[in-house]
Amino acid sequence: MMTMIVRRLLTAIPTVVAITALLFFSVTHILGSPAGMMLGQDASPQAIAALNAKYGFDRPALLQYGAWMAGAARGDLGRSFTTQQSVARAIADCIPVTLELTLWSILLAVTAAVVLNTIPVGKRALTGVTTAANLIGITVPNFMLGISLIFLFSVWLGWLPSTGWAPWSAGVGEHLRRMAMPVLTLSAYYFGVFSIVYRAEYRDVAQRMFIQVARAKGLSEWRVAFKHALPNAILPVITFVGISMGQLTGGAVVTETVFSMPGTGRLFVSAIAGHDFPVMLAVGMLVVAGVIVMNLLADIAYTVANPQIRFE
Amino acid sequence: MRDPRPIAGLALIAAFVAVAVLAPVLAPHSPLASSVAMIDPPSARHWLGTDELGRDVLSRVIYGARTSLVIGFGAACCAMLIGVPVGLMAGFFRGRVDMLAVPLIDLFIALPGLVLALIITVMVGPSLANLVMVLGFVMWPSVARLVRGQTLAVRETLYIEAARAVGGTSAWIIRRHVWPNIRRVVAAQFAIAVSLAIFTSASLSFLGLGIPPPTPDWGGLVRAGFDFLSLNPLMSLGPGAAVTATVMGFYLAGSSVK
Repeated sequence: MMTMIVRRLLTAIPTVVAITALLFFSVTHILGSPAGMMLGQDASPQAIAALNAKYGFDRPALLQYGAWMAGAARGDLGRSFTTQQSVARAIADCIPVTLELTLWSILLAVTAAVVLNTIPVGKRALTGVTTAANLIGITVPNFMLGISLIFLFSVWLGWLPSTGWAPWSAGVGEHLRRMAMPVLTLSAYYFGVFSIVYRAEYRDVAQRMFIQVARAKGLSEWRVAFKHALPNAILPVITFVGISMGQLTGGAVVTETVFSMPGTGRLFVSAIAGHDFPVMLAVGMLVVAGVIVMNLLADIAYTVANPQIRFE
Repeated sequence: MRDPRPIAGLALIAAFVAVAVLAPVLAPHSPLASSVAMIDPPSARHWLGTDELGRDVLSRVIYGARTSLVIGFGAACCAMLIGVPVGLMAGFFRGRVDMLAVPLIDLFIALPGLVLALIITVMVGPSLANLVMVLGFVMWPSVARLVRGQTLAVRETLYIEAARAVGGTSAWIIRRHVWPNIRRVVAAQFAIAVSLAIFTSASLSFLGLGIPPPTPDWGGLVRAGFDFLSLNPLMSLGPGAAVTATVMGFYLAGSSVK
């Protein structure tokens, strides 16, 4: 199995190179020019030439890509165009916030989706509730859900602070109070997706012979559902978690903006709003490379969790 | 009992299209006319209140349906124009086309569409035509994957073999036998694509990269109202509900086709 994992990691390298190169050339050459983006359409040719010379945008594309990747390998992602701050530093400060938000959201989405669709009592009412929750989760846009929660819990009931973020050092309670609404907002969509996938698989598994055998042995419905059906129905959810990690970064962009959280998503949005090319490029490259790595990890997790493949 | 979901979906779509088409008749005020009544709470004259320039929010929401209609259908058409041929070719001919298409499709599906759309839009500039193309480009892989899967299934059937046996060309088989069999699923995917396009374009304009002002656009309206949430919640929740209802309508209509 070790050789399988190593082989998978090695085959991911060309994909990462290809996709980052594609993104790099798209934003530096195909879709427009960095100077044009940063200075606007009305910039004088002299100003554009000066900026190109300063940042090296006038060099051959392959050389620029090579230089950028070499810098990234050393932990140097250039300097922000607007703040002149180190991009690597800015991103490093943001990553823990986004990572925590995403992990909580995935955890909540998976747990809620699995538990709600596994509970063996009150099926009729529960199915209705989860079906409605799935639909809401999938179709209500992140910004709408976030603003509705702020309106309900902050403006109307006054239970939670509306926006802003507090580090762990500000106290665990304060930190979690400020994480509650963003996590709920971001997890809703994934709850819907996971719930649909899991429910379909669970219904399939529940028909199988070993479930009848478990029941015939006299096990309780709860034990049959959680001990025998759940582990067999959860596999496709693992694959979906991997695929979603990439999409989640997109959701985090909106969620962090709504709740003014200092994460990579908001950094990305402010880079776009401020036409800060180096920051936008760095975050874009990280997201793209991260997605590929996440998919790979999900693939490996799937293999590890599935004995049918593991023992081959 | 019949499944109420597709009917609810079609009703929401019909209401949305009617609002978009009849906007000049339905809107009580001009969506662009400003007045001195700024950030007014909801009243009999302004059901959803007024915005920071004194414009009637309800009228702007009603006219915003037109923007969403054009972007939703335009982007879905773009996605179909690329995705359907690619999916058909990959699924029907297999071989090299398939080996090239599948990794590309998988890769693009894994990438976050919103992040890609943000990057492309800021580089090419936000305009209606650009947004339609950007969203179409972001969505084609999921169309291609679905069409490919459906084509693969149809390809293995006996009647395709029979069509081949009587000497049918590939183009004829695709037109006469493959396409009619996958048409229904493609139509359902079209509705899903419209829903996703409206969802994504609203998110883009919420983040400040939508249709440039003063054209009313739902995501932008939600963003503008967000700053005044405690003064007039309907200023952002109103357009937000419009986006949600429309996205839900197309999703329900598309997802109930098996």
